[in-house]
Amino acid sequence: MRIARAARLRTAAAMVATLALGATATACGQSDNTGGGGSKDGDKGTIGIAMPTKSSERWIADGDNMVKQFKEQGYKTDLQYGDDKVENQVAQIQNMITKGDKLLVIAAIDGSALSDVLQQAHDAGIKVISYDRLILGSENVDYYATFDNYKVGELQAGYIIEKLGLKDGSKKGPFNIELFAGSPDDNNTKYFFNGAMDTLKPYIEKKQLVVKSGQTELNQVTTLRWDGATAQARMDDLLSKSYTSDDVDAVLSPYDGISRGIISALKSVSYGTGKKPLPIVTGQDAEVASIKSIIAGEQAQTVYKDTRELAKVAVQMGNAVLTGGKPETNDSKTYDNGTKVVPTYLLPPVSVDKSNYKETVVDSGYIKESELQ
Amino acid sequence: MGSPVKTDKNPPPPAGGAAAAVKDGGAAAGAAGLLLQAARRNMRQYGMIIALVLIAALFQIWSGGILLKPQNVTNLIGQNSYILILAIGMMVVIIAGHIDLSVGSLAAFVSAAAAVMIIHHHVPWPLALVACLLIGAIAGAWQGYFIAYVGIPSFIVTLAGMLLFRGGTQIFLEGQSISPFPRGFQKIGNGFLPEVGPHTNYHNLTLLIGLVVIAIAVVQEIRDRRQQLAYDLDVLPRNFFLLKLLAIVACCVAFTMTLASYHGVPIVLLILAGLLIVFGFVMRNAVIGRHVYALGGNQAAAKLSGVKDKRVVFLVFVNMGVLAALAGLVYAARLNAGVPQAGINFELEAIAAAFIGGASATGGVGTVLGAIIGGLVLGVLNNGMSLVGIGTDYQQVIKGLVLLAAVGFDVWNKRKVGS
Repeated sequence: MRIARAARLRTAAAMVATLALGATATACGQSDNTGGGGSKDGDKGTIGIAMPTKSSERWIADGDNMVKQFKEQGYKTDLQYGDDKVENQVAQIQNMITKGDKLLVIAAIDGSALSDVLQQAHDAGIKVISYDRLILGSENVDYYATFDNYKVGELQAGYIIEKLGLKDGSKKGPFNIELFAGSPDDNNTKYFFNGAMDTLKPYIEKKQLVVKSGQTELNQVTTLRWDGATAQARMDDLLSKSYTSDDVDAVLSPYDGISRGIISALKSVSYGTGKKPLPIVTGQDAEVASIKSIIAGEQAQTVYKDTRELAKVAVQMGNAVLTGGKPETNDSKTYDNGTKVVPTYLLPPVSVDKSNYKETVVDSGYIKESELQ
Repeated sequence: MGSPVKTDKNPPPPAGGAAAAVKDGGAAAGAAGLLLQAARRNMRQYGMIIALVLIAALFQIWSGGILLKPQNVTNLIGQNSYILILAIGMMVVIIAGHIDLSVGSLAAFVSAAAAVMIIHHHVPWPLALVACLLIGAIAGAWQGYFIAYVGIPSFIVTLAGMLLFRGGTQIFLEGQSISPFPRGFQKIGNGFLPEVGPHTNYHNLTLLIGLVVIAIAVVQEIRDRRQQLAYDLDVLPRNFFLLKLLAIVACCVAFTMTLASYHGVPIVLLILAGLLIVFGFVMRNAVIGRHVYALGGNQAAAKLSGVKDKRVVFLVFVNMGVLAALAGLVYAARLNAGVPQAGINFELEAIAAAFIGGASATGGVGTVLGAIIGGLVLGVLNNGMSLVGIGTDYQQVIKGLVLLAAVGFDVWNKRKVGS
C-alpha cells in the first residue's frame, strides 16, 4: 500500500501548508490590525478609514495620524489602503459597511467611482467624510475636509512671479516657463492648476511669461497618476522640442514627485551646472526628498500642508457627527461634486523654500532634522 | 447529442495496484481505496476544495462570523465576479496550451467603450452591451489570427494586446473617469433578481431557484451513478454516495438561505452560473471542448488525428475576448464608472486562479470548475484579509505564497505518483 501512504502524506502536507499559511496570515494581521482595543472606551464604535496607497509617504502618515487621534477619542479604527486600485477600495469600503463601522473617512483613489458603494453606506445609515480628495457624483458625501487647493496653486505661481522679479517690477522678462499639472482623474488637480493659472495669466498675457511649447490647457499638461517618471519623460520632450537654443526659467510643478522627475530631466541636459542654473521649480507636499533637494539648491519651493492638521479636522468632524453635533465648516459654496455642494473645512497651505523650511516643517516636527542629514 | 470524440489524454481510471488491492481488501478497504483513487485522479482540485473550506473557516472565526454573513457573501460574489469570468476563459486558453496577458487591458478597453457609448453618446445600454461584446470578439479574433494563423507565440501577441488596449483605454477616456451609467446597466454588476410573491422573510425567487438547483443536482448524481453501474464501473458504496448527496444538498440549502435572507440572487451570479454550466458542458462533452484538451495535451498527435488546430486556437481566443469584454462590462457596471485604471493586473489574477484551480503550465489539464474554485480561493483570501484588516501589501505576499504552494504541491504530487 505504498501509494495509499503517499496519498495520505500528500493530504497531510496540504493541511499543513494551509494551516501554515493561515498562521502567517494571523501573524501579519496582528501588527496591522488596528481594530483591537487599547483605548479608553471600546463601545463608541469603529471608524473605517480608506486611504489610496502605501506607496506615498503622506498617506501613510495621514492614516497613522487619524488612527492615533480617533483612538484618543475612544473609537476603534479600521485603516485600509487600496493599493491605488479602484476595485480594491470599493471592496474595502463594502467590507467596512458589512462590519458595521459607524463612520467612513475616505481619501478616494478615483473620486467618481464610489457613488454605488456610498449608496450602500447611506442605506446602512453610515456617514461619510471625504478626505483631501472630493468624492464626485454622489449625494451621500456628508462633509469634506481638505486644504485650500486653489490657494496651493496660487502659492506656487506666486513664488515663481516673485522670484523672477516680475512682482515688484524689478525685471520685465520675458521669461520662459513650462506648466505641469496633476493626475486628470484627481478632482484636486483642477483647483491646483486654476489657482496657479489665475495668478500667471496676467503675466502670460503681457508676454512677460512665455510658454514656448504652447501647452497651456489643463488636458495638455496633466500627469497621469502623479507619476514622476511620466513627468520626466514629458520634460525631456519639452526640452528637446522647444529649448535647444533657449533656456527655461521656471517650471510650475504641482507635486514634489513630479518636481523631482522634472529636475532629473533638466539635469540630464546640463542645467544646474556653471552658467546654466536650474529654473525655479515648484512643488507640493514637503516630502523629505524634496526638502533635501531644496536645501541642496535644486528644487526651489514646495507647498507644505500639515496633514496632521487635516487628520485633526477629520477626527473632529467625525466625532461631531457621531455625537450628534454639527461639524465646523468654513466653506459651503465652492466644492460642488456634481450632485451637491459638500460642506467643507478648508485648511491653509504654507509656501516653503530654503529660507523658511526650518521654521515650518522642522520646528513643527513634521520632518525631523535627522531625516534631512 | 452526437458521441463526442474521446481524444482526452486523461486516462480512464488507472487500474493499477490500488484497484487490485481493493479486490481482496474487503468492503472497508475497498471504499477507502475508491475514495483515494477518486482523490488522486483530481488531487489539486480536491485539495483546493479542502483548502477553500479551511480558509473560509479560518476567516469566519477570525472575523467574528462576518465572512459568511449574507451581506458579505453577496459582496464576495460581486467583488470576484469579473475575475471569475476571466478565469473561466483563461482556463480554456491555458488548457489549449496558450496564455493571454491582454485580458485586463481588454476589459478596461471595453468598459471605457461602454462608458463613452452610453454616457457620452447616449446609446441605449442593451445595444451598447451587444456592441461591447462584439468589440471583445473582434479583439479576440485579432489576437487569435496572429496566434493561430500567423504563428506568433500567444505570449507575444497578447503582450502587445496588453499595451494596445491599455493605450486605447486612455485615448478613449482621455485620462478621465466617466460616470454615471443608467440604472439598468448598473444592475449587471450590482443588481438582484426582483422580489416576487407573498411577503416572507426570505427572497422567494431565490428559494425557488435553490429548490430547482437541488432537484437537478440530486437527479443528475443518481443518473450518473446508474449509468456508471450499467457500464460496470466502480462507484462509491451506497453509504458514501448518500453521504455525498447529503453534503451537496446541505451546501445548496445553506447557500440559498444565505442569499435569500439578504437581497436574493445577484444578477451577476446568474451570469456566472450560466457560464459555468455552458463551459462545463462544452469542455467535457462537446467536440470542440475535447479538441481543446487534445490540442493542449499533444498538439502533434491531435493534428494527426484530424483536429483543426488553427481553427480551435482561433476560436479559443475569440472566446477569451468575449469573456474579457463581459468582465469589463460587469466591472464598469459595478463601479458605475468607466475608469482609466480599470483592470490593472486582472490577467495575473485570472492566470493565478486557473493555476490554483488545477491548470498545468504545459496545457491539456484543468477544468472550468477548477478555475472557479481557484478564483474563489483568491477571492475569499482577499475578502477575508480585508475584513480582518490585513493591508494590501501583506495580502499580495500571502497570495503569492498560496499560488506557489498550490502549484508546487501539484508538481510534487505528480512526481511522487510517477516514481
